[in-house]
Amino acid sequence: MINILVNEWKGFLRNKLFIFLSLFFLISLCGVTLFGIIQNEKQVETQKIAKEHIRKQWDEMEPSNPHSAAHFGSYAFKSTSILNSIDEGINSVTGNVLRLEGHKQNDVVFSEASQSLLISKFGKLKPALIFQFIIPLFLIFFAFNSYTSERSNGRLKLLLIQGASLRKIVFSKVFSIWVIGIILLITSIIVQFIFNGTQLSSDTLLRLMLLFSTYAIYFFIIVNLTVLLSVVFKNSTAALSITILIWVVWTIFLPSIIGKTAEEINPLPTRIDFKESMADDRSKGIDGHNPRGDRRQALEKATLEQYNVDKLEDLPINFSGILMQADEEYGNKVWDKHFGSLYNQLKAQKYIYQISGVFNPFISLQNLSMGLSGTDMYHHLDFLAQAEKYRRVFIKSLNDEYAFGGSKTGQRGWKASNDFFRSVKEFHYKNPTFSSFFSKYIIDFLILLFWLVILSILLSFSSRKTLDI
Amino acid sequence: MKAAVLIVSKVILRLFNINYMIKLNNIHKSFNQNKALDNLCLEVKPGEIYGLLGANGAGKSTTMNLLLGFLQADSGSIEVFDSQNNLNNKKEQIGYIPENVNLYPYLSGLENLDYFCKIANLKYKTEELEELLSECGLELDAHNKSTSEYSKGMRQKVGIAIALAKDASIYLLDEPASGLDPLASNELSEILKKLASKGATILMASHDIFRVRETCNKIGILKKGKLVNEILSKDVSSNQLEEIYINFMKN
Repeated sequence: MINILVNEWKGFLRNKLFIFLSLFFLISLCGVTLFGIIQNEKQVETQKIAKEHIRKQWDEMEPSNPHSAAHFGSYAFKSTSILNSIDEGINSVTGNVLRLEGHKQNDVVFSEASQSLLISKFGKLKPALIFQFIIPLFLIFFAFNSYTSERSNGRLKLLLIQGASLRKIVFSKVFSIWVIGIILLITSIIVQFIFNGTQLSSDTLLRLMLLFSTYAIYFFIIVNLTVLLSVVFKNSTAALSITILIWVVWTIFLPSIIGKTAEEINPLPTRIDFKESMADDRSKGIDGHNPRGDRRQALEKATLEQYNVDKLEDLPINFSGILMQADEEYGNKVWDKHFGSLYNQLKAQKYIYQISGVFNPFISLQNLSMGLSGTDMYHHLDFLAQAEKYRRVFIKSLNDEYAFGGSKTGQRGWKASNDFFRSVKEFHYKNPTFSSFFSKYIIDFLILLFWLVILSILLSFSSRKTLDI
Repeated sequence: MKAAVLIVSKVILRLFNINYMIKLNNIHKSFNQNKALDNLCLEVKPGEIYGLLGANGAGKSTTMNLLLGFLQADSGSIEVFDSQNNLNNKKEQIGYIPENVNLYPYLSGLENLDYFCKIANLKYKTEELEELLSECGLELDAHNKSTSEYSKGMRQKVGIAIALAKDASIYLLDEPASGLDPLASNELSEILKKLASKGATILMASHDIFRVRETCNKIGILKKGKLVNEILSKDVSSNQLEEIYINFMKN
């Protein structure tokens, strides 16, 4: 087997077209990887400047009403991992920044499944674009006639008479072409190591290794399929045409069709519907700006009883702050309810999309690529949840200051000190470790392995027959 | 089970003093209802060079492909024995020269020979391979040239070297002299005779009546998948053989 493999590589290395194309792809890949790293660094730098600016604004804030400060708000930045430079995933649609403000929760009306084709791939030039679309094509063009050319010019007979088995011949072809993809993958990883080596945490390293394995498996699937079709059809043109057709269906048609189907089965509300329905639920609750609401009256009564006074003016605290926080908490409940159902819909969509990998390994690859790069829906939802958690603590601290910081009910002009605003902590997003998210991607790994095993078995089976060559 | 079959076949061969390396019994083979071989019976003895003469489509290549295991007969049996008279259909003991030897164009003649030897697990030193190529008539300065620059005859010579390197007990040659100049063709005859004298069995399919008469001990004429005549080459001259062949083809 090793002799056939070495011979194939001799052929590649003595083929000027191969050398030219390989160099072109190597240089392009290095360039794109480097470009991705630079973009990422730029984004990190921009985020750092923005964070410092916001911190400065809070540190230098003039004494003012905490409620005004709540509307002044803050921002949550999704820290960019170096892996984002490989696959931008849904970040190109969702962005990396959230505005945090009193009464206003962020919404997620975004279907990863239905927009799976649009997201990232053709937006920005990232290594994922090359790994998912260009390198597989390159591998197909080298694999489609690797077997049929041996067969049509009679060398296959000579090889078989020399004692080589057809199975060894075809698998050697598969491995020799697969190695091309592996070399390109390794090149990209080396570039990452050279320029990002200092930022590689154990989690990033794990993700990078799994990302490498995922693409390596997918490349093997592509080469295996191409060689299998050439063994089955015994004709280069037929093998190439059918492989390209499958590639187009896998990468263009099926992701779109399955994405739309997933959204049909588990539809998401439109952004307007979602907001209206949130507002509707919210209006039924305590409105901090509507003193006549029933809930306000109940809260007022309870507060007066708690402090054993008859009038709001007699309270030792500022009832407005309590009212604001109660409104906020009701708003949180409304958000939790709507976000929960939305999350379930998104999860159901994602599940359908993941399962469809059984028909299309490209989908499993795409899911894993985004997941491992930390740029898929699960990672975005985690960011959203962490940002919302922080927003609640942040707004509560402002409302508490308003209520218990020394002002009394009716003192609208009361101002919190600069020391208080300086003490308000900013948001720090902790990227989840992949091991904590692993269970979400098991299905994608299993499906890719399923494709690998099935195609290998089929290739092995089809190459058992040496008659009629 | 396999060992038992081999022992039994060996005993039968010795008991009945059967002495042949290749035996085709009542072979029938059709392609889409077109008969390629029709009840073909053929025997080749050890050390014999058997020439199979026939027009295009007579069934020569089909016979070769059946013996090589690339085709399966519709009916009948094929028996291939090794030098110890054991039934052995393994390809290791067969050397094969196709009509058109297509080599790897990016390798030199020497590299091609080395590669095919490695595939067959044959260990040769470079000097031995060079010697083999020279024996097969390939000029020394062509050994390290890319085979993309080779003529058909030069490729054929490398093909012959590949087959000879196996030091096989049976050689199957499908139009081996195709593309060879008269000198190289004559050299091939000498090589084959030398191999036969060492005990190798050779079955050679060809159109070339003169070359077959010069090289082979026994000649079979194949017509429409049937063996219509067998002649010992010592009994006929080339002209007589041509006359016999033409008569069979016309009738």
